[in-house]
Amino acid sequence: MRARLQLPQGASCFALEEARRRRAIEARVVSVFGGWGYQEIIPPLFDEAVTFDPSLASKLYTFTGREGTTLALRPDFTSLVAKIAAGRLAHVEAPLRLYYSGEVVRYEPPRAGRQSEFHQMGLEFLGGEGPAADLEILAIAIECLEALGVAEFVLAIGHAGVLTPLLDEAGLTSDDSRRAAVEGLGRRDPKAVGQALEGARGSETARRGLVGLAHDHGIRQSLDASRAAFAGIDRALLALSELDLIIEALNEAGLQGRVTIDLSESRGLDYYTGLVFRIYGRGLGFDLGGGGRYDSLLGRFGRPMKAIGFMLSLDRLALLVERLGGAASDEAPAASVQGPTLGDSVRDARVLRARGERVLFGGRP
Amino acid sequence: MRLTVALSKGRLMAGTEALFSSVGLGFPPQDTRRLIVEAGDLRFLFIKDMDVPVYVEYGVADVGVCGSDVLLEAGSDVLVPLDLGYGRCRMVVAAPPERGFGGGGEWPPALRVATKYARVAREFFEGRGLSTEIVALQGSVEIAPSLGLSDCIVDMVETGRTLRENGLVVVEEIAATSARLVVNRASDHLNRTGIAALLDRLKAGLGVAATLQNVDRGA
Repeated sequence: MRARLQLPQGASCFALEEARRRRAIEARVVSVFGGWGYQEIIPPLFDEAVTFDPSLASKLYTFTGREGTTLALRPDFTSLVAKIAAGRLAHVEAPLRLYYSGEVVRYEPPRAGRQSEFHQMGLEFLGGEGPAADLEILAIAIECLEALGVAEFVLAIGHAGVLTPLLDEAGLTSDDSRRAAVEGLGRRDPKAVGQALEGARGSETARRGLVGLAHDHGIRQSLDASRAAFAGIDRALLALSELDLIIEALNEAGLQGRVTIDLSESRGLDYYTGLVFRIYGRGLGFDLGGGGRYDSLLGRFGRPMKAIGFMLSLDRLALLVERLGGAASDEAPAASVQGPTLGDSVRDARVLRARGERVLFGGRP
Repeated sequence: MRLTVALSKGRLMAGTEALFSSVGLGFPPQDTRRLIVEAGDLRFLFIKDMDVPVYVEYGVADVGVCGSDVLLEAGSDVLVPLDLGYGRCRMVVAAPPERGFGGGGEWPPALRVATKYARVAREFFEGRGLSTEIVALQGSVEIAPSLGLSDCIVDMVETGRTLRENGLVVVEEIAATSARLVVNRASDHLNRTGIAALLDRLKAGLGVAATLQNVDRGA
């Protein structure tokens, strides 16, 4: 009987031109990371399942270790990097600028340009505080896309500190109603947000503000309009003024065309504490990556410090770059080597190789 | 940037044409068999209703119109900023009355459900702690219980006439559905002006006041 040729659903495999294009993209992105002073970290392929973010628990590929502990293949990098920074790298003084590039796996059906196994390239600025760190991350993300020749892209930025006080003030106390409101906002669905708010007895401003974020472009996309809409909700206004500072600096740097405000952007409120963003490029219908500030994660591992990071999906970038016709091979064709004897062939090939040329070894006389 | 709109040639078509025409957006004539048609500032794709959220999620279309029943079943990651109000229907569980389902009655331990909406049906009964066997059909679901193919069905009803004529009664309503405008996430940012203008025009056509009222009532 012939062996099955099919890979399991969700498994990734790349070869030939496709593999070359992915490595070319990876090299460019990683060189941008390095250019901003980030050093590589190569985290383990698996760790104890409890290390990873609880929101990913249902998507883990788990197995049992020799001592009976439940282990999991890594579903993302950030928790691992935070754990290593607090453990093995405890002696290295903060701030730490670290980047990674590698595969992660999540138990979910292939969808929207990625398999269950996919490749993330990202960085974590551990100990990065204030608007300076936020701007550094945004500037690096912008440069990565420029380096790949993506002409038209935009970073949609929001702030976790806007939504959390609105949910509190609106009187959404149960986890279920908060989740329903955030999911509704994520889908920009005013009906769903309205439903989540049913029975909430909090401030009228906060309730109207939440629904406004879903249906009013002004409140969602303009800091002035949102300031007016959230008047009196001080913590939300504070977050807006943080965003203001960032936008102003980006404008000053001539990057205004690269960012857009989206205050309904939440990316998981249990985790993010400040700036959040997603990256979109013309030619692909889903985001290319994103990131944000997560000031409370490192505390979980006993080394409390502020942090911000982002990641790019190599799989989606490869799709986009292919559509844009970019990252073509610029290598010269290999020279065919075939001497009168096998020994001559080997010698000739080595001479060419010493000059740095690519060879196609003919071998036989 | 010309926006691409995905529509289905189904029961929502008349309502969509009326809405688009009422606010001065172009709409292609219906006498053509072409599936990609340009009209006014828009490009229209005519596809199967179940495919509308898929085209929009992948960004092949910037926006689309489909029933919320289709959205529930497809589970696509798209924005749903506008309830267009027409095409109102109900997604229900229906069964022969003699089975005595619903109203606090017992469900059999292993329920067989015939439906076009496998995902919706599974999630609904799982939410009740019931294990189900889904019999996935493409249409004429109403005849399944009388032929012994299933215990009940999950399907859309508008007037209930088809159910009655096939000896079924509604035992539970799963969701009230209507036509929704769906928008691609990337397009929402990359074509921000165009999408916002389209949304504003459609809202004007529906009457913004009515929309806000719905929101306030949490409808």
